[in-house]
Amino acid sequence: MKLIIRIASLIVGILFTTFCVAADSLKINGFVAQGIVQAKDSNFVNDDGDVSVKLTEIGVNSAYRFNSSLRMAGQGVYLEGGNRYPDGFRIDYLFLEWQLLQTANWLIKTQIGRNKNYHWLYSSTRDVPHTRPSIVLPQSLYFDVFRDVAIGVDGIVLLAQTDNKWGEWDFNFSYGNSKISDEQKENLLGTYASGKLAHDTDTQISVYWRPSLSKFQYGLSLLDADFSYKQGDSDTLSSGEETSQRIMFNLLYQGQNWEVASEVMRERVIVENLLFPGFQSDLTAEGGYLQAKYFLSSQLTLLARLDIYDRDRRDRDGSNVQTLSQGLVPGYFGLMDQATTGVTWKFAKNIQIQAEYHKVKGTARLAPIFTPNTILNDSKYWDMWAIQLMYWF
Amino acid sequence: MNQTRLHLFLALLVFSSCLLFVAFSVGSQVPEVKVVVNPSVDPKDLSVEQIRRIFSMRQTTWSNDQTITVYVLANQHQTHQVFSTQVLGMFPYQLDRIWNKLVYSGLGEEPIKLQSEEEMLERVSQKPGAIGYVAQPINVDKINVIKVLEK
Repeated sequence: MKLIIRIASLIVGILFTTFCVAADSLKINGFVAQGIVQAKDSNFVNDDGDVSVKLTEIGVNSAYRFNSSLRMAGQGVYLEGGNRYPDGFRIDYLFLEWQLLQTANWLIKTQIGRNKNYHWLYSSTRDVPHTRPSIVLPQSLYFDVFRDVAIGVDGIVLLAQTDNKWGEWDFNFSYGNSKISDEQKENLLGTYASGKLAHDTDTQISVYWRPSLSKFQYGLSLLDADFSYKQGDSDTLSSGEETSQRIMFNLLYQGQNWEVASEVMRERVIVENLLFPGFQSDLTAEGGYLQAKYFLSSQLTLLARLDIYDRDRRDRDGSNVQTLSQGLVPGYFGLMDQATTGVTWKFAKNIQIQAEYHKVKGTARLAPIFTPNTILNDSKYWDMWAIQLMYWF
Repeated sequence: MNQTRLHLFLALLVFSSCLLFVAFSVGSQVPEVKVVVNPSVDPKDLSVEQIRRIFSMRQTTWSNDQTITVYVLANQHQTHQVFSTQVLGMFPYQLDRIWNKLVYSGLGEEPIKLQSEEEMLERVSQKPGAIGYVAQPINVDKINVIKVLEK
């Protein structure tokens, strides 16, 4: 059945391409990508660690402008990522955009509906293969288990852009929430959680600055997200709340032959009850990555990246994790560091192939997060490789 | 243990800082690229920042509320590469990245891509509010050349 859906989606994608070429006035774009991936000695992609074809990303988007200040835009995607996130079709974004102000130096607009997360370097197009630096993004920030929550919100977005003597500025604000599916809930809490997990509110703010005619860009973003859990029948968990508060800085340098990107974050995670009545936890995680891309030619790009994540900045080697669980959960569940190297070859117009290898230490970003799977993830060191062919239009 | 991890992170920061100072140069024998607009467009001159704003699709209307239609040449076209680096002060891949973000996150629309300078002149001359660029001599009547104001 899954194979039929995958083939049908590929056909729909190709049909849309043909339609797009034929209809000049209608703006339709999209992408089709299929790959193979293997993450041995971990449950990152699948439980058995075998080679998997669960690396399918298909999307079609369209935008319609009613007049100079009102437009509508939407994108539907079909994704298969194994254990990384729930499979299937979904509306990626669908919103009404109203331009509030446009002057020589200011542009202010608002979007209402299902919006994208415009706050991080790659968050707004993390499912669009040819816009990403790698097939699997750095898990310290672009945490796949949390993908559906971080991808955007149903709510409102305010965007302001201005230019002044210091350069170009972008201000972004979003407020809303997102629906958490049962599979997403299991990724976070484990298969025995029978209750209902809700993403109550999500507020994000970000500022980007590109100094005048500079090759650098600097960004700052803040996030505050609240979740609640209502206990279900025969539930091993109890009702509780979780709050995440993130501060992130990012830097981007774009030269002729090199592109260097870095994002670092500090995230406070407060949990009340949830694991059992009276449970309290207030930890501050830290993480970030440094990434260099070298353009060998207009077709060939090399990538190197180091990504670091510590679940508790006061327990960087995870020894408290082991102690508090009375030895049941190994210390390496408190961290996850990842070295990545990759290559992208754009061998034809709008077609490229990407290949990468990841060497990973630690399992802190593997599902389920709140109830670690120590049987499937019994190795401190594990690795992963992936190859993906992608086409866009 | 913690110190080792801190040292590793610091070493990476130093390494990346070194990368940032990689020098680059662009060949000097390049054709002059002119920014062209449809005669309906009011401004006769534009600053580099304004042109960059228009081709980044950050400014979508002229000051009289007329919609801007942006035409560009294909990525591999030499005139596009010269326009991008010499006029905008950006590399073609930076523009690609900006346009990809607009198209695939719903934020906006990308410019209309054309294959030749002849097509560029024809489309700009016919579409009110249009802007583009060419390196070849201009042999079409309904085209205005924009004076680019340097800083």
